[in-house]
Amino acid sequence: MAAELRPEPAVDAPLRAANRRTALAVALIAVLFFVGVIAAQFVGDTAVGMSVVAAAVLLFLALAIGRNLRK
Amino acid sequence: MSAIPHDHAVGHAADHHDDHGHHPTGIMRWITTTNHKDIGTLYLLFSLTMFFVGGCMALTIRAELFQPGLQIVHPEFFNSLTTLHGLIMIFGAIMPAAVGFANWQVPLMIGAPDMAFARMNNWSFWLLPPAALMLVGSFFVPGGAAAGGWTLYPPLSVQAGMGMDLTIFAVHIMGASSIMGSINIITTILNMRAPGMTMMKMPLFVWTWLITAYLLIAVMPVLAGSVTMLLTDRHFGTSFFNAAGGGDPVLFQHVFWFFGHPEVYIMILPSFGIVSQIIPTFARKPLFGYASMVYAVASIAILSFIVWAHHMFTVGMPAAGLLFFMYATMLIAVPTGVKVFNWLATMWKGSMTFETPMLFAIGFLFLFTMGGFTGLVLALTPIDIQLQDTYYVVAHFHYVLVAGSLFAFFGGAYYWLPKWTGTMYNEKLGQWHFWCSMIFFNITFFPMHFLGVAGMPRRIPDYAQQFADWNMVATVGAFGFGLSQLIFVVALIKCIRGDGVKAPAKPWEGADTLEWTVPSPAPYHTFETPPVVQ
Repeated sequence: MAAELRPEPAVDAPLRAANRRTALAVALIAVLFFVGVIAAQFVGDTAVGMSVVAAAVLLFLALAIGRNLRK
Repeated sequence: MSAIPHDHAVGHAADHHDDHGHHPTGIMRWITTTNHKDIGTLYLLFSLTMFFVGGCMALTIRAELFQPGLQIVHPEFFNSLTTLHGLIMIFGAIMPAAVGFANWQVPLMIGAPDMAFARMNNWSFWLLPPAALMLVGSFFVPGGAAAGGWTLYPPLSVQAGMGMDLTIFAVHIMGASSIMGSINIITTILNMRAPGMTMMKMPLFVWTWLITAYLLIAVMPVLAGSVTMLLTDRHFGTSFFNAAGGGDPVLFQHVFWFFGHPEVYIMILPSFGIVSQIIPTFARKPLFGYASMVYAVASIAILSFIVWAHHMFTVGMPAAGLLFFMYATMLIAVPTGVKVFNWLATMWKGSMTFETPMLFAIGFLFLFTMGGFTGLVLALTPIDIQLQDTYYVVAHFHYVLVAGSLFAFFGGAYYWLPKWTGTMYNEKLGQWHFWCSMIFFNITFFPMHFLGVAGMPRRIPDYAQQFADWNMVATVGAFGFGLSQLIFVVALIKCIRGDGVKAPAKPWEGADTLEWTVPSPAPYHTFETPPVVQ
């Protein structure tokens, strides 16, 4: 087996930092939904909980896609 | 899209990165790989394997339903088969196949050297085999596999045996894999596009995957949260969904379908992207209405969040709720219609040829539209209440998901196999595969419309005598459809072994995206110097 490591893709430091920021933001949104859907059951009825989550999703999509379309 | 690579960049990729001496070989190559092409291959082979595992379950189901009465399996095992067939096909076959296409194609199409987080990409894949083993292995634990349907509704899922715990853990793991994959895809597309490739110059496949990844980020944690609550209800004394403790089983249905309906689009949007690459190539015309296609995909994704309760019209909700979800569901037909219109307009007066990828794309268009129409029928609350949990619903979602996702994936596989393997697939085998699949698919699922309208309920191992004839036809069709897929395996093996005509860099004259600028097979490392897109 040839154990020699492959060369890393040519990714520069600013790009790595930008990648980390993007990934962190997206991961936080995932965590928010995971925690939120459980937490919502303690603070309101079904309609309130689902409305909160649905509104968050719509807002997120509008912001994420809209922001990039403007570039 | 006029994606023209910088000549130097292409030459650079071809000159310096077509040797394979810089990476581990043998099994360690596949376990430790961080290369997007290797990981894409792993995803695709895994999904094909799970497709056959889930397919064998489907054939056992159909064998049992060949005649009325109980012949082959016990009713409990039959219920486990329907449950696991759904879970395996969705989480083990369709979704990994879509991620496999994304891994192979997204970096190549945007001119990126690899995915943004290559090691996480490896981890995303290698979470899947243990999860699949847990799912399939649940057949062998006391009490057998989960048997309450892929939707895992309480109270059955709260009361079921150890197989349900394995299913919940498997869903958790596959969800984590999907979320990591989505983070990778979003980051790659947003940050690693080649210079000059603006968002509105991206190939439509990349657009559909970007939007799919956002959907996954939004809904997979919701599924994970709901099955976590299910788990705590089962083992830690909570009562989220346990009516005996004051919980609400219907709440689970709301939360589940808030995930479940976008999940349908998670499975279908990448297929839209693949078809949007194939049709312009073989019509030899640019995609009609590119911008409207992008907006239509985004609209479908957004609308998918506000229609979940159309799966639950019969559980009881206010009339205003019924009306809202009915009209919202029907509204999805508008952006979907835009897409179908644009595909047809792309073909209109095009110099069309009908190689296998194009056949599968047209098959997709025809059958998915039929599935869409039956979806519109089911969106009507009064009709849905009559047809709820009948074979009409089974026919509808198989037309959408088998003829939709699967046909598009086969089309995509034939389209890109020359790029992946360096060998042209056998056209005759491809044509046989398409026509056999098309004919047997319709023999299997079209009669289910009749069965559903006549009142045959789904998820039962036995049925009344009057349903016998069409069930017999459906079973014959199912076995024909299953056997037809072996043709694809033969065609695939021939390609992998290099048994065929060597593929040029651009085997399709109408193709214009970046992946066709690198040699076939695609070198192990591509676009380390980004191409310039004009």
